[in-house]
Amino acid sequence: MQSNLISFIQMLRSHEVRVSPAETLDATEVTAALGYTDREILRDGLAMTLAKTAEEEAIFLHCFERFFKQGLADFTAPEQADGEQADATPSDEDSETSGDNFDGSPENALEQAAEDSPALRSLMQGPLMQNLLNNERNELTLAMNQAAQQVDLQQIQMFTQKGQFTRRILDAMGEEQIRRAIIELEQAGNPTLPLLQRYRDMLREQVRDYVEREYLLHAEGKTQQFMDEILSKTRLNNIEHVYVGKVQNLIRKMAKKLASQYSRKRKQVKRGQLDMPKTLRKGIPNDGVMFNTYWRQVKKDKPQVLAVCDVSGSVAAYAKFLLLFLYSLQDVLPRVRSFAFSSHLGEVSEYFDDYPVEKAVELINWKYGGATDYGNSLLDFANLALADISSNTTVIILGDARNNHGDPRLDILQSVYQRSQRVIWLNPESRKSWGTGDSEMLRYQSACHFSAECNNLVHLERIIEQLLKSTR
Amino acid sequence: MHTQDFPQLESVERIEQGFEAHGYICSRKIATAVFLAFQLRKPVLVEGPPGVGKTELAKTIAVLLDTPLIRLQCYEGLDEAKALYEWKYGKQLLYTQVLKEKLGDLLKGADGLAESVERLHLFGDIFYSEEFLEPRPLLKAMQQEKGAILLIDEVDKSDYEFESLLLEILSEYQVSIPEIGTVKATTSPMVFLTSNNTRDISDALKRRCLHLYIPFPSVELEERIIQTRVPNVQEQMRHQLVAFVHSLRQLDLKKAPAISETIDWARSLMLLHADELGEEIVRSTLNVLLKYEDDIEATDPALRSLLAGEGTSQPGH
Repeated sequence: MQSNLISFIQMLRSHEVRVSPAETLDATEVTAALGYTDREILRDGLAMTLAKTAEEEAIFLHCFERFFKQGLADFTAPEQADGEQADATPSDEDSETSGDNFDGSPENALEQAAEDSPALRSLMQGPLMQNLLNNERNELTLAMNQAAQQVDLQQIQMFTQKGQFTRRILDAMGEEQIRRAIIELEQAGNPTLPLLQRYRDMLREQVRDYVEREYLLHAEGKTQQFMDEILSKTRLNNIEHVYVGKVQNLIRKMAKKLASQYSRKRKQVKRGQLDMPKTLRKGIPNDGVMFNTYWRQVKKDKPQVLAVCDVSGSVAAYAKFLLLFLYSLQDVLPRVRSFAFSSHLGEVSEYFDDYPVEKAVELINWKYGGATDYGNSLLDFANLALADISSNTTVIILGDARNNHGDPRLDILQSVYQRSQRVIWLNPESRKSWGTGDSEMLRYQSACHFSAECNNLVHLERIIEQLLKSTR
Repeated sequence: MHTQDFPQLESVERIEQGFEAHGYICSRKIATAVFLAFQLRKPVLVEGPPGVGKTELAKTIAVLLDTPLIRLQCYEGLDEAKALYEWKYGKQLLYTQVLKEKLGDLLKGADGLAESVERLHLFGDIFYSEEFLEPRPLLKAMQQEKGAILLIDEVDKSDYEFESLLLEILSEYQVSIPEIGTVKATTSPMVFLTSNNTRDISDALKRRCLHLYIPFPSVELEERIIQTRVPNVQEQMRHQLVAFVHSLRQLDLKKAPAISETIDWARSLMLLHADELGEEIVRSTLNVLLKYEDDIEATDPALRSLLAGEGTSQPGH
C-alpha cells in the first residue's frame, strides 16, 4: 500500500498538484489513522493532506477515482481478456482446426506440433506459454508488472514512447520465444500456426493496454507540461489561432504563480508598535529619561504602473499578451493604467473595468489599430498622463519603435524618463534589427532605464517578475 | 491532548454523534477532518463561503471537549503585539524607576568603575522576564494546562507577515520570544484557521495544515440542520424552505444565502407564525436571506416560479 500511495502521489504531481515530501509523510499517517476499510473516509482524509485548494481537490478526486479503480482493473482486465480468449478458442478450434486430424484442447494441438519444432518445444516448457494456456491471469499480471518495473515504465514521458515501452515489456516477458516458434511453424507450414499467433496477439494487446493505462497515470500531465514549455518559448505572433486559448490559460497560470509569490500586502500603517529598546537606548544620553518615542514601520507610497502599448498590425499580438498578463496580475501589481496607440493614443483602462480581459483586448485592437505614429502618440500620452508621472511611476512601453520615418519626439520620452522611476521599453524585434530601417529604437533606448527584447512568454514572465520586484 | 483524555474524539462516528448532540450537524468529511486533526495533531485550515459554519465548528468542539476556546480575530495590520505577546511597558518603566533608587545601595562601597559594572551584572535583571509579559491569544493558548481550542478566524484578512509568524506556532506549538527564549505548549492546542478565500494563503502555511473545504450543504443535510436548530418548524414547511433556499443558491447572486441565513429565516418565519410558504410572506422576509438590495431586486420577479418550482433551479421557465 505504501508504494501504491507513493505512485498515487506521483500521479498527482504529474497532474500539477504540488505535494511536498512533508505532505507525503502526512498522507501515510492519515492512512495509518483511518485504515483502509472505508474508502470514502480515506479519500476525504487524503484529500485534506494532499490537496490544498478547491481546484486541487477537484483534480485529486478525479485522480483518486482513476488510480484506485485502476489498481483493481489490473487484475480484472486480463481476466476479461482471457475470458474472451476462452470463448474464442473453442470456436477457433471449430473453424480452424476441425478439418485437421487433431482434436481436444489447443494445448494438445500445440504439443503435437512441438514434436517437430524445437523452438516451440522450449516455448511450451517456459512459464509464459504455460500461463497463457492455463489462463493464469494473476501470474500473467504479475509477470507484466515485473517486466514493467524492469524497464522502468514509470519513467514514460511522451505518448511517442508507448510503442517502445510495449516492445521492451514484451521482450522482458520473453515474447521473442513465441516469435521464434511462429517463424519455425510458418516455415514448416504447420496448421497450428494461427493458434499460436492468436496467443501472441492477445499478449501484445494486453501489454499495449497496460502501457496505455500507465501512460495515462504517469505521463499525461508531463506531456501537458511539455506542450506548455514549447508554447512559452514560441514567438507570440507565431502562435496559431487554435493555441491562443492555451496560451491564455498558460498566462493565467504564470500570473497566478507570480501573484502568490508577490502577494504581500503593502504596509499602509503610518505608525506601528512602540520600539521600546530603541526608545530606551536613545534615552540614555538624557539620563534614562525617555524623551522621544520611537516607532516601528514607516509608510510607503503606492507605486503605479503605466502600460503603453502599440497595437498596430506588427505588434498587436504582443500587446495583447502583455495586457493579458498585466491584468491577470491586478491583485498584486499596483494600479495599472493602460494606453493603446498606433496613429493616436488613448487611455484604455476603462475597457478593462467594463469587460473581461480577453474581450477588452479585442475591443482595443479594433479601436486603436492602424499605422504607427510614435511622435503623435507620445504627444497624446504627455497630454494625458505626464502630470501624473512621479518618482513612483513605472512606465512600460511595448512597441517595435518603427515610426515610418516620422518625427520620433524623443524630447517627450526624455521628460517622461526624468520624471518617472523607471521607463521600460519592450521590443518584440530581436536586438539585431534595432535601429535598422525606420526603427528609432536606438534613439528611444537612450531615454529608457531598461530595454529588452520581448517576444515570447518566457521573456514576458521574466520582465513582469522584475517589475513586481521593483514595485514592491 | 491524548486520546484517552478525550474519548469523544476516538472515532469518526463518535465525533459525528457528539456534534449532533450539541446541535452541530456535519458531513462525514468534517468529522473526518476533526478526527485527523486530533490524531495527527495538525491544525485545520477551514475554507468555504461565509456562513457555512466554519467558526461554529471550532466553538462546538470546545463545548464538546469542555476546553477553553481562545479566539483570535484577524484583520489587516494585526501584529505580534496583539496576537502573540506584548511587554507591560508601564510596569517596565516603573521598574526602571525603582532600579534607579536602588542603584545607590547596590553600588555602595564599590571600588572604581570596573567593580560597579561587575556588580550591575550580578544584579538579577528582570526587565525582560515573564513578569512583564502580557500574553495575547496565541501565547495564551500555548499556556493552557489542559489544552485549548485555538480559533484563528479569517486568517486571509491578516497580512502576509502575520502568516509567517504563525508557522512556528502551527508546526511546533511553540513561540519564540527573543528576550526570553522559546515557550513550548504544555499541551498542544487544537488549532482551527478559517479563511473566506479573499486572497491566497501562502503554501508554507497550507502545507502545515489539513485542508478542509466546507461547501454549501446538501438538501438532506440542511434539512437536518434546520430540524436541530429550529425544531418547531413543521416537516412540510422545512422541506419547502430548504428547497427554496437551494434554488436561490442556483441564481447568480452577489452573496448566496448560507446556512446561518437559512436558520435565521426559519426562525423569522416561526416568529411570524407562517405555516406555509406563500409568495407574500417570502417577499416580506426575503431581506433575512439576501443581504444586498440588488439581489433582492433580481430575485423578486422570479419569486413565483421559484416557489412553484420548489427547488427546480430554472427560474422564469
